[in-house]
Amino acid sequence: MVDFARVQKELHECNKDVQVSGIKVSPVGGDLSHLTGSIPGPTGTPYEGGIFQIDIKLADGYPFDPPKMRFTTKVWHPNISSQSGAICLDILKDQWSPALTLKTALLSIQALLSSPEPGDPQDAVVAQQYLKDHQTFLGTARYWTEAFAKTCGVEEKVKKLVEMGFPESLVRSTLEAVGGDENLALEKLCSG
Amino acid sequence: MDLSEVAGSGSNVKDFSKKKRGNRYAKLKQSKLDARREQWLAQVKSKGSKVESENACEVSVDGRNKKGGLDVKNVEVKQRGAETNVLIHHHNVDWDLSPSNSPGSLGSLFANNSSGTNFSGCSGSSISSGGFCSGSISEEDEDNDGCLDDWEAVADALGVGDKSIEPSPEPPTCLQERSRDVPSEEISLGKGPRPENVKVPVNHGGCRAWKPDDAFRPQSLPNLSKQRSFPVKSDMHYDHRGCGSWVRSNLTSVPSSCPICYEDLDMTDTSFLPCFCGFRLCLFCHKRILEGDGRCPGCRKPYETYGLVEGKPNLNGGISSIGLARSFSMITKPRK
Repeated sequence: MVDFARVQKELHECNKDVQVSGIKVSPVGGDLSHLTGSIPGPTGTPYEGGIFQIDIKLADGYPFDPPKMRFTTKVWHPNISSQSGAICLDILKDQWSPALTLKTALLSIQALLSSPEPGDPQDAVVAQQYLKDHQTFLGTARYWTEAFAKTCGVEEKVKKLVEMGFPESLVRSTLEAVGGDENLALEKLCSG
Repeated sequence: MDLSEVAGSGSNVKDFSKKKRGNRYAKLKQSKLDARREQWLAQVKSKGSKVESENACEVSVDGRNKKGGLDVKNVEVKQRGAETNVLIHHHNVDWDLSPSNSPGSLGSLFANNSSGTNFSGCSGSSISSGGFCSGSISEEDEDNDGCLDDWEAVADALGVGDKSIEPSPEPPTCLQERSRDVPSEEISLGKGPRPENVKVPVNHGGCRAWKPDDAFRPQSLPNLSKQRSFPVKSDMHYDHRGCGSWVRSNLTSVPSSCPICYEDLDMTDTSFLPCFCGFRLCLFCHKRILEGDGRCPGCRKPYETYGLVEGKPNLNGGISSIGLARSFSMITKPRK
């Protein structure tokens, strides 16, 4: 059974200093075992300026078992799957400690964004690119951040697509379905 | 999916978690009570030659206060009602009392008591407090609840009856006398009653000696529980001054709630230091961790090093070893 009293307190603590940390955690629906977190991309990295959404599922044993975390925002990073958003981070696996919290785990993920570990990759393609063609890696990562992690740009994208003649509600749902990527949304709108 | 619906479900979650917490508290409390009882029982066994069983006061106490000790217990039990906690508590006190009593204080008090002052209501505990006067600080921690007021009551009685027995039967002097080994602030912090004894004042309702304390008793409750140590064994191994200083450092470094479950730490938890790294947690979470991978959440090292800790000469290590030995016994024993 998840310790909901603790989760509740954690949410309260975490949301108290959102201004400082930029890290937000909020429940998805009425169930506290499914949460969503968001972290700002660290400055000085290709992820700067983006807001990354992380899906958090609390296992029954939480806080004695680690929370299951996964990026729902697409990220180009050696330790994060570009397909599924799975995160390769020891504290979310064997190095978890019940003394850690959702907030500290999210902070660790933020730290992972600024210091990738290509030697222990989650996404081999990205890791190869990181090691062999770092400039391309930086470019791709920056592009993905622009395309998927900039929530402020959604309205602009919607406006553009609506100007192309698609109905607004359809544009919004399509954009959401493809994770905010304008081009993918356009493709989908055209094909569907 | 309108707002009210969301709010509604939110409050449901809250209610649910509240209810859960209520259950949890009850469960937690029960398990801790059991655990404490286990500890004390284990302690009795470990004392071996001195104390054989819960009723072993008769066996254990040496000639001089054999009768006294026994009487104290009986009177206590009768006076304070049949609350088992109180009973156990006083058993514990009696063990401590017997070896460390000075014949003077107890003997004289006892004599005085039986010499015709009719303070029958307080006589039992006044004797036991006589023991504490000559005892050590942690014993005082153990049973400060009844002592102070009873002392004052007895002092009043003495003032009427016989002044020659106590050089100065003023209650404050008594307090000072007891606090010789500790800074007075700790005494004042520590003189609240144990939570189980909250009901005791009812019995002493007639004694005006309660008055000065009454106002602050409720507030001081948690304080006491936070600074209380496991005194008995540490007393046997370390001098009182050392113990006093440990109590003080304990006061400053102990978090008020468990970093794992975020519940408040009670007195058993605060005196529990399971790992060298100094990471504290409640017994409930500790047990849960031992059922799992058994690693300290603070340093990720396995807890299984307690064997090495045992009997370490250094003060903090020693104290922690006591915590460990006890916690371990608690964890292994109550499996039914």
